[in-house]
Amino acid sequence: MEALSHIFPSQDYALLGVILALPLLGAIGNGIFGKRLGKEAVTLMGLSAVGVPFLFALASFCLLACHGEGEHTTTSLTWTAWHWLELQGSGAGVANFRSISLDVAFRMDPLSGVMSLVITGIGFLIHLYSSKYMEEDPGYHRFFAYLNLFIFSMLVLVLGDSLPILFVGWEGVGLCSYLLIGFWFTEEANAAAGKKAFITNRVGDFGLLVAMGLLACYVGALDWTGIEAGREALLSPVKVWPVSDSVPIAGVLPQSWAEFLNAPRYLDPATLVCLALFLGAMGKSAQLGLHVWLPDAMAGPTPVSALIHAATMVTAGVYLLCRLSPVFVLSPLAMFIVALFGALTALFAATIALVQNDIKKVLAYSTVSQLGFMFLGVGVGAFEAGFFHVLTHAFFKACLFLGAGSVIHAMHARIHDTNASQDMRNMGGLRAFMPGTFMTFVAAWAAIVGLPLTSGFWSKDEILFKAKTSFVTAPAELRGHSPTGPVAIDTFVWTEGMGTALYLIGLTAAILTAFYMTRLLLGTFFGEFKGWTITPGWTDPHAAHGHGEDDHGHDDHGHDDHAHHAHEEPGPSMQGPTPHESPWQMTLPLWILGGLAVAAGFLNAHAIHVAPLGHFLEPVFTTASKSVASHEGAEGFLWVGMAAAVLVAFGGGVGFAYWVYVQMKGVPAAEWTAKFPGVHAFLRDKWRVDEFYQETIIGAVDSLAEMCVWADKYIVDGILARFTAGLTQVLGTILRQFQTGRVQAYSAVMTLGMFGVAAFLWSPQASVREQVDERAGTYALAAAPGLGFSYRWDVDGKEGWDGEYGAAKAAHFKLDVGEERTVKVAVKNAFAVESEKVFTYVRPRPDLSRPAGSVEGPTRIVKGEDGKLRAGGGPSEPGAATGRPSPTGPDMEALKRAMERQRKEDE
Amino acid sequence: MTAGSLLFAVCAALCLAGALLVVTAKNPIRCAMGLLTTIVGIAGLFLRLSAQFLAAMQILVYAGAVVILFVFVIMLLGPAASGEAAPPQRPSISQLIAGAMVAVLGVLSLGLIGYGDSHAFELIGQSHGSVAAVGSRIFKEGLVPFELATALLLVAVVGAIAVARSKPAGHKAKPAKEENPTRRMFQGPVNRPGAAGAARENV
Amino acid sequence: MELGLVVEHYVLLASAIFAIGAIGFLMRRNVLVQLMCIELMLNSVNLTLVAFNRRHHGDMNGQMFAFFIIAVAAAELAVGLAIVLQFYRLRGSVHSDEASSLRH
Repeated sequence: MEALSHIFPSQDYALLGVILALPLLGAIGNGIFGKRLGKEAVTLMGLSAVGVPFLFALASFCLLACHGEGEHTTTSLTWTAWHWLELQGSGAGVANFRSISLDVAFRMDPLSGVMSLVITGIGFLIHLYSSKYMEEDPGYHRFFAYLNLFIFSMLVLVLGDSLPILFVGWEGVGLCSYLLIGFWFTEEANAAAGKKAFITNRVGDFGLLVAMGLLACYVGALDWTGIEAGREALLSPVKVWPVSDSVPIAGVLPQSWAEFLNAPRYLDPATLVCLALFLGAMGKSAQLGLHVWLPDAMAGPTPVSALIHAATMVTAGVYLLCRLSPVFVLSPLAMFIVALFGALTALFAATIALVQNDIKKVLAYSTVSQLGFMFLGVGVGAFEAGFFHVLTHAFFKACLFLGAGSVIHAMHARIHDTNASQDMRNMGGLRAFMPGTFMTFVAAWAAIVGLPLTSGFWSKDEILFKAKTSFVTAPAELRGHSPTGPVAIDTFVWTEGMGTALYLIGLTAAILTAFYMTRLLLGTFFGEFKGWTITPGWTDPHAAHGHGEDDHGHDDHGHDDHAHHAHEEPGPSMQGPTPHESPWQMTLPLWILGGLAVAAGFLNAHAIHVAPLGHFLEPVFTTASKSVASHEGAEGFLWVGMAAAVLVAFGGGVGFAYWVYVQMKGVPAAEWTAKFPGVHAFLRDKWRVDEFYQETIIGAVDSLAEMCVWADKYIVDGILARFTAGLTQVLGTILRQFQTGRVQAYSAVMTLGMFGVAAFLWSPQASVREQVDERAGTYALAAAPGLGFSYRWDVDGKEGWDGEYGAAKAAHFKLDVGEERTVKVAVKNAFAVESEKVFTYVRPRPDLSRPAGSVEGPTRIVKGEDGKLRAGGGPSEPGAATGRPSPTGPDMEALKRAMERQRKEDE
Repeated sequence: MTAGSLLFAVCAALCLAGALLVVTAKNPIRCAMGLLTTIVGIAGLFLRLSAQFLAAMQILVYAGAVVILFVFVIMLLGPAASGEAAPPQRPSISQLIAGAMVAVLGVLSLGLIGYGDSHAFELIGQSHGSVAAVGSRIFKEGLVPFELATALLLVAVVGAIAVARSKPAGHKAKPAKEENPTRRMFQGPVNRPGAAGAARENV
Repeated sequence: MELGLVVEHYVLLASAIFAIGAIGFLMRRNVLVQLMCIELMLNSVNLTLVAFNRRHHGDMNGQMFAFFIIAVAAAELAVGLAIVLQFYRLRGSVHSDEASSLRH
């Protein structure tokens, strides 16, 4: 440890660079050379690209943990890679925005340390799992390349020291999610799911970008320390409505409406920033509204679902909120919205999971629901609790997904159709055939339903407790200035009723969670196996065709096997082998994760005051926790709440499920489905959110696209292309008539042309070249020469010509400041044809922006005691030079010189 | 009416009459005669203007060679020379316009008679316009143009022969076009068996 | 009134001949007649030059110019008539409307 801190000082902790670089190198290597190097090499590269960073991250984590107190007080390890760019601001009218320096810098503090351990650790386990799960897939190297790239991006996200770096990682994980969901892109549905994920994320990214802009504008910094230091600037209210001085349509509305519309509304930037950030988190963490991508993302391989959509990427939103907790606690309103959305998401997803039959879909909605819990925890100010739930969720959800993958692996051996092999109605009784998978699945199930003393119990209980008792205190009354005077906004006050409501919603969701997870467990592992009739010694009759290898190939639909087995429906009529347990590469991660799911709770078991993790995370949340308080009677509620959680949620949910599905053999469920078909359909169709979006938003975009197609066809093609082509053709046909091929016609046209030229030469042109000196006010005009030209001028400003026609080619005159004069010149050529031209000149006021003492001349103009301006010597202060130059003084000299020059020229 | 005026009047009349004859006569021989008349008239005017050498040249070259050449060609062409066999089309619009403008120019010129100051001729000596005077001018300042004009005449002779020559009988039968290797290079893929495959490979 | 002692008379006559030649060139369809009209125009220019030259005593530039114009006109006519002959051989007539290969 000492050696490590010697080699890498905590301010220049280059090991972070190594941790980041290894997965990236793995991705590049696997991607470019993987196909050539073969499966073993790819496995080695892929696993080491995540395993070695895990070790380094562990070492760094220990460095942080051990040296967290004492004389070193290392609370974070930073490393700056290079200086990225400087943002330059104009600084006009906005508080702090002068220049923001962005470095590519990374920081490992307790929060990001834990996250990086989760990412690399669980990532390594899932890489190990995938080495067996994806063994038969022809895109093996591509899979590992994408997985490594994902690890890299996620590490950039959590280790980044500023919002832009986080955003780079944010986008990177979004990209990898798209690539991995659509891994088997030859199927239209998979590619569509990938696109959906990416686009829904994009909506959230917009929020993140807006938040970055707002932070840059109001706080003037984009890195964590800078934001925390300058966050007070977010409290002064800004006018959000109307955008300019008044709403345009208010002019035509009746008086009271117009007043209502035009009344200025103020909001504090903290709320705006937090809502924008939450929009970003909504997209990434699949909260209500932007959750639609996560269930569809199950189209990707199961390890992907485990890693990305359970353990790491979807938690990026929670990480963002934890990271920017100092900003979030400034806005109780935004926090309440976060908590409310979290609670509603938890409930919403839980109701849908009740009626799903695909095990991956159940787990997907379970993920959405648990994410809701996390946001509920973070929203009420319990950042530690929310983050702890991230950790425990990573363990038990990854374990659940990997276990589901193991089950699907076994099912797929016989049922090749993707949807059928994942359908719970074709499973059952698998605990006899897959004991290892079964036991780890039970461990994870125990955690998620909240069996006392498991990790899920501690974290969920903590969240529910905090939901009832914790709230965010308002900052001092928000005061600010506006052009019309001082402004004060009322802050949002958090009442006890809100806490209770959130608690009740969360509790309901917990009950439902217990119910559907038990249903899943019972449906998959208990009862009779409904997939096929197990005939010992059954071999695949089509294996002899050389397709044996592809028995375990997953989701290769374009395959002959599928056609052969297509007519066979899963059920007693189908025959098949015994479902087999998975190899050690797949079960070892299950055991590790299952064990962690059970045991990790004691890292942060606040109720019994055993909380090393909480203690470790304290420095990260100190600023935020200053604004978080508890309602009265919190302590008393602690045990009440725990009892409620155990009895109602765990006991009630699990017991009820047991009663319905084991004791009553699923009959009540079928009865309710028959009695309330509408409700059942509504829940099964995911509350028809996708359909709603399709009708409204996507429909709108489609209509827009149709309009554009029409515009392209008829306007661009029709008018711009065909019309212009037609016009050119018509013109061509007309002009072609002139090409008669006869010399006479050509010479006739030539003659016409010559007459034109002759006419031009016949008439004289009266053009002048002018020399203007605006500062001195002298104007000199020189007329263009011509054969036999004689000139006549009128420059003196008086009516009538100055003289008769003569040979004077030039004339000059002088103007006062602001004076306007119309001058005329007439030429007469040898044919006695006259031509005249009129010019108008205005002498403008002198340009005040030029500082006095510039090169233009020694004249200094100063304000005398009498207030009049005069030319004077000596240095003048900037800004004192104004106004018209005096009529006497150096100007006259310059003019006289100019006149002399003119006279000489004329001679 | 002095003799000079009379000379002027007669020669001017000859010029105009000849010009009109050129423009209006149907028979090309009549046109040629009109041209001859104009040339002779111009020569007379040259004499009035003390350009004796030039007057001689005018008669020699124009009347003695140009008009003869015209007559030769007209005779060579025979009955086809009248050239109005094709139904006379109406003049096109541009022609009419151009003709009108030129006519306007002519009328304007007539209208300008007596306008402005006249620039009278001075009295000059005999040497003005003599062979010696013009000759010395040509061979001193105008030597290069003179030599170039010589070359021009030579080229014109050669050119006229080249253009007017009818193709001798021997050239009528041309040998079969020999295979041009360049042409073969640029032929399409039809003739080259491997080209189609190569095209496909380029995808 | 004394004709021919003022340069304007000659210029006037020359412009008349020029106009007649120009109109004739534009109107007549016979190629030979067109060539003759060109000669007319050239002659009118010659006349103008010599007339103006009369005003400059001792400076023979105008007449020299006219001399060269005569030479060049002769050369041009030779080649032009050769072309007419070829044209006749090609088209069988000397109608200028036949020379319309440049037609669209």
